[in-house]
Amino acid sequence: MIKLKNIHKSFGRQQVLKGIDLTVQKGEVVVILGPSGSGKTTLLRCVNYLEKPGDGEILIGDYHLNCRHAGKKEIHALRQKSAMVFQQYNLFRHKTAVENVMEGLLVVKKLSKEEAYRRSAELLEKVGLGSRLDAYPSQLSGGQQQRVGIARALALEPEVILFDEPTSALDPELVGEVLEVIRRIAAEGITMIVVTHEIGFARDVANHIVFMDGGVIVEEGSPAEVLSRPKEERTRQFLKRITPEPNYSI
Amino acid sequence: MKIDLTFIWTAFLQILPAIPTTLVITLVSVLAGFVIGLLAALARIYKVPVLGQAASAYVTFIRGTPMLTHLLLIYFGLPVLLDALSAQFGWGFKSASIPMIGFAFISFSITAGAYMSEVIRSGLLAVDRGQLEAAYSVGMTTPQALRRIIFPQALSVSIPNLSNSVIGMLHGSTLAFTVSVVDINAKAQIVASTNWKFFEAYIAAALIFWGLTLLIERLTAVIEKRMNLYNRGGIV
Repeated sequence: MIKLKNIHKSFGRQQVLKGIDLTVQKGEVVVILGPSGSGKTTLLRCVNYLEKPGDGEILIGDYHLNCRHAGKKEIHALRQKSAMVFQQYNLFRHKTAVENVMEGLLVVKKLSKEEAYRRSAELLEKVGLGSRLDAYPSQLSGGQQQRVGIARALALEPEVILFDEPTSALDPELVGEVLEVIRRIAAEGITMIVVTHEIGFARDVANHIVFMDGGVIVEEGSPAEVLSRPKEERTRQFLKRITPEPNYSI
Repeated sequence: MKIDLTFIWTAFLQILPAIPTTLVITLVSVLAGFVIGLLAALARIYKVPVLGQAASAYVTFIRGTPMLTHLLLIYFGLPVLLDALSAQFGWGFKSASIPMIGFAFISFSITAGAYMSEVIRSGLLAVDRGQLEAAYSVGMTTPQALRRIIFPQALSVSIPNLSNSVIGMLHGSTLAFTVSVVDINAKAQIVASTNWKFFEAYIAAALIFWGLTLLIERLTAVIEKRMNLYNRGGIV
């Protein structure tokens, strides 16, 4: 289980997160929606301390961290509980696909080279890249790079995988293959927090939807509740803007 | 004026034994300079209190003064300092026991460090911040991330500039003759002074330097190709 309590974050004078509380059950897929600038990506990055929250508490699995007393050691321990999939993939550019997945297993989990390779190759097979193990990121398409990113996150067997707009940088025709992979691992019961603009994906895959705006959670609930019968006017406005018109024609 | 071509060859052969001296000075100053430069670059990038400012001051002072001046400052200043300290603490150490080449090692390392710190700093800054974040996200500590992810990429970006530094130090090492170290250039002068054929002797020295430089260029090309394997298909 993941529990965020009263998370605050400011960039200089600007308050980006104004006290966020969020609970994610084990095996749940939570999708965070919201306009740009709403603080959703910042919230996600606070969970593994890529952004340092000004105040609040983070609980992941059995690890509890009070953001006021977080030293290097505590932050390092917290980060080992989660893994992240980035908007810009952020694969290690000087390492091949399989080395990217192996890296965490070797350095952090201290597996042997053979074991790390075996598991990494298996995971790449699973995301459909069994034939590209030795390709460098620069030789892979965006969709392929992102699938390596997902394999890299899966390899660590974290309590939760954080997805930061995983398809926003992709060509439209490559979005499908990445969403398909995420959908498949969601079905395996891996806990996820996903920031995305893909409403269709949210409707299909999420157990729980959170709508954020202006640094607060405006509304949350099941996809049916939030997407089909939003209670808040702000949510309605947002959904109207990003849901494509049916029967579109030019 | 007549050029004595055969003497160029004679001088060439007589200068060859001085090559190791030049290479050792270059190698020591480049290696020590790399370590100093790396530390200075890290201190500045991470804005380490005191050390960061000290590194900035070091870089601007050294880059703002000629390499020959550094050598003379070390040559005249260091013995005074060491003898004073030795007398103070009773080390029983005499600065006269420092070999001449030692002054060249120390002062050129300091020179190289300042120039290389800028090369290394720009290399480190060229690595996308996302790489560090990705390393953190898989659970690495900062030293692990630097060693395994950031440094290798920064190094491969820096190779052309580092090779420039190495060549610069190779040529700069000729200044060591001012403290009586016999390097390639000094040897040329000695060889020439027996029969006053300076021009021929310096042609021989120039050819040797050119040859060494070509060697360094070739070597970097090979290293660069290997290290940048991962960029295939990129713009580079």
